[in-house]
Amino acid sequence: MENSFIERAKSSCALGGAIATIAALPRAIPIVHASGGCAQTLSATYNLGSGYKGAGYCSGTMTPTSNITENNIVFGGEDRLEEQIEATLRVMDGDLYFVVTGCQVEIIGDNAASVTSRFQDRRPPVLYASTPGFLGDGFKGYEAVLSSLAKDFIERSAKKDKKTVNILGFMPGQDVFCRGNIQNLIFLLNKLGLQVNSFFGDGESIEKIKKYGQAAHTLVFSPIHGYQVAEAFQEVHDIPYLKVDLPIGDTGTESFLRQIAGPLQIPKAKLEAVIAEERALYYSYFQRFLEITGDLDYQRYAVVSSDITYAFPLTQYVSEDLGWIPHLVLVNEEPDNEEDSAQYRKKYESLTANVSPKLVFEANTGQLLRHVKESWPHNHNEKYYNQLSPLFIIASSLEGSAAQKLGANYLPVSYPVTNRAVLSKGYAGYRGGLNLAEDLYSSLVSNR
Amino acid sequence: MADNNNLLEGLVYNYTSATEPPTRDVRIEPTNAYLGSCHSLKRAMGQGCAKFNSRYFSQGNGCQLNLALGIVRSFQNVVIIIHGPLGCGSNNIGLAGFYKTARALKGKPANDVIWIHTNLDESDVINGGVVKLREAVLYAEREYRPDVVVVGNSCVPGIIGDDIDSALEELEPQVSAKLVPIHCEGFRSRFVASGYDAAYHGLLKKLADPPVRIESVLLGSSDEEERLEKIRRQNSRTVNLLNVGSTSRGDEVELSRILSSLGLTVNVLPLFGHIDEIAKMGEAGLNISICATHDDYLIGHLKERFGTPYVIDTLPIGIKNTNQWLRAIGEAMNLKEETEKLIELETSQLLESLEPFKATLAGKTLWVGGGETRIFTTAEFFQSLGMKVLGLKPHNFDRFAIPMLDDIEDPETAVAVAAGQPAEELVYLKRLKPDLYVGHGGANGWVLKLGIPTIPLYGQSQNYMGYSGAFELARKAARALLNTNLSKKISANVPLPFKQVWYDSNPQDNIKEGQQEEPVARSSVK
Repeated sequence: MENSFIERAKSSCALGGAIATIAALPRAIPIVHASGGCAQTLSATYNLGSGYKGAGYCSGTMTPTSNITENNIVFGGEDRLEEQIEATLRVMDGDLYFVVTGCQVEIIGDNAASVTSRFQDRRPPVLYASTPGFLGDGFKGYEAVLSSLAKDFIERSAKKDKKTVNILGFMPGQDVFCRGNIQNLIFLLNKLGLQVNSFFGDGESIEKIKKYGQAAHTLVFSPIHGYQVAEAFQEVHDIPYLKVDLPIGDTGTESFLRQIAGPLQIPKAKLEAVIAEERALYYSYFQRFLEITGDLDYQRYAVVSSDITYAFPLTQYVSEDLGWIPHLVLVNEEPDNEEDSAQYRKKYESLTANVSPKLVFEANTGQLLRHVKESWPHNHNEKYYNQLSPLFIIASSLEGSAAQKLGANYLPVSYPVTNRAVLSKGYAGYRGGLNLAEDLYSSLVSNR
Repeated sequence: MADNNNLLEGLVYNYTSATEPPTRDVRIEPTNAYLGSCHSLKRAMGQGCAKFNSRYFSQGNGCQLNLALGIVRSFQNVVIIIHGPLGCGSNNIGLAGFYKTARALKGKPANDVIWIHTNLDESDVINGGVVKLREAVLYAEREYRPDVVVVGNSCVPGIIGDDIDSALEELEPQVSAKLVPIHCEGFRSRFVASGYDAAYHGLLKKLADPPVRIESVLLGSSDEEERLEKIRRQNSRTVNLLNVGSTSRGDEVELSRILSSLGLTVNVLPLFGHIDEIAKMGEAGLNISICATHDDYLIGHLKERFGTPYVIDTLPIGIKNTNQWLRAIGEAMNLKEETEKLIELETSQLLESLEPFKATLAGKTLWVGGGETRIFTTAEFFQSLGMKVLGLKPHNFDRFAIPMLDDIEDPETAVAVAAGQPAEELVYLKRLKPDLYVGHGGANGWVLKLGIPTIPLYGQSQNYMGYSGAFELARKAARALLNTNLSKKISANVPLPFKQVWYDSNPQDNIKEGQQEEPVARSSVK
């Protein structure tokens, strides 16, 4: 995907991603060196757009920021930043302070790294990451912030704990179900005897994050995001990483568990026992929907339009677990190079339905209708027309109108989600698969 | 009468030839950093020093691009292009559904909000981003056939000097949509309300038509004099009610009802309107503002170019201010007697209906935060119900709200001027512990963490303005006090991110007083 304009981009900028990431770290305080509007605007992008996750401990209007003005653009904003850091340390109660930068100060050449380094002996620590919006989407900021933590904050440890893994790839806000997904994975990995470092999960603290260098493995739950951080953990802390998909439901989770069992040295018996137990439980719940599924023919054609982290797991879930027809997948972001794109496409070859979905990389939200129309023969007023129906669209809240136009059932899962309110729900794992089944089926029965 | 209205005394609006009007920093000289009392603020505004105030510790104070987008996002069949990186205006994502619902509520087609980012990256910072802007305009035209494409310019092109005006002019012959550039680069203004002026300037410059002179159209017709007189009469009774982002459908219905009962024909404009309606704004008999902070540039510009008379007075919330607003209109339309009759009838009916709520609200204390004209009128109304106003937090303060300071009974009532940034306000609230907080979006969540019950200052599906709005507002406040368990639970369990030393400090020490920045020549940053 060339770096073109984007219609209704489902993200924010690097600074937006950085603020959302810092705001989700336990008791961390962002300090934004930028114009007055950046902190508030970019926070709102995720605070409203991610199932109403809100500003949390310190983002939104609360975000400390240098609020640089036209004057600073001309004469430089470094003094203002130093004053703001000093003031923030005095006023705000945090365990970690994190200076991040916007476009304006990067273009004029403020040296925010040097200003931040004047505070290097302070405790709690003050960290820095360069995050101007023009670097790209929110993930650029996520990567920058966590990479800074890995390089500049997390203690080096020669001693590794084989049973501890760091997990990456979940960007708070950009993954609407971030917290729930992390908790579901912790639950699952704990069952295998593993301890999980997640940055954002329940019970995390800045003190615990400092010890993440003791982990023996990193798992990255995304085809393309989180690898700058994973590389930093590898280079600085000698922790290897493994690329995995976000596991959802029976098929996805079993495949995930089998993939990690070797590298993470999970005893075979334990692996099989956990899979058997969780799967039995999964179907003991799922079977409750069998009557309605069979009696009302709840098999659907499925169209998925989502970010790259969710696209395959959602498609895999409806195809392999629910037995729906995987028809069309729009992936809203694309790997950087041809090789990775080809590798990504190969995933879909594992689907076992008698038809393969059409896969398109498409960043422009408004193009969904066109792709759906192009994917299916037009109705030329035939007496007997084989319609793309019944249809289910799994996408974001921006596709609600398209679903309505297509007469499709619809569930927003991928960011943004403004027509659902989300707290602790997650779709990862066996139990997350049950949540997804509940929500898909709820859409089907919601008019009753 | 409108011409002599002292809210706009000394202001000029002859900027049509410029790409953008001066920012409010220069044009209105507001302050967004002042802590004191109604009494002391009035004195400070008189001395003119507060406008240079700033802060040691500051928090997000908003971006003018957002306020400009807030206006244009509402129009029908518009595509918005944000010329910048992906973050600028990315809160469109959070607001798109809200605007879609608002369109439906206002009886307009509930279409999606469509926006495009030019997605400026590192190489565009060096080479300029105009090529991407052209591609985005052509995409908008091809995919959506909009009536108008509005381009909001962000900080990056503002600093590197992209010439969007020329680029759009070159494109005009190739597209059927009208192309409107808006210069609303965030760094240019400390006051987000500059975004209103930037948006209206761009729109009116490109879209507004000179009023059609009825006389010239009708000359030559047989019963010419009679028809002419009829249309003149009709025209002179047609008024534009200028809505703002926070006017709900309920507000528009109520204010239209009131004006209709004076025999006026009401167009509700410009938000959620169509550009054809906006093009004809100059034709009305009267432009009626409900918020001077929002509208002064709009009506000043229309008056300057087309001579359209206007009323810009107070915001019609509560009895006193609704009556005051109505009297100004009655005077402008030569309907003084009718207006007084209407006021008498409406007021007596309303007062009776408010009695049950007074019993709950009288003696309770209150703090109001948000836009300057809205909070003072809201506070005045609750005061009239027997509540005690402990303080107010205007996002900024300027000439438009100075007369409202006198409406607060106790001149020593606290005023904490701050755009967005809640830190100082929360210290006041922790000390004063009002029984009820009425707040702007983005503020109420923090206040709940202090254990203070809140109601929103505005809302898309609720009525706040006019007589029925007063009733609804009283009803809402009384209801909020029927059960305050949520704020109690939250304050006991969810912390705010401040150190004790901040709560113990004098928030006034955070204000840097009267430090004038070096004036910046505009050319130096382009």
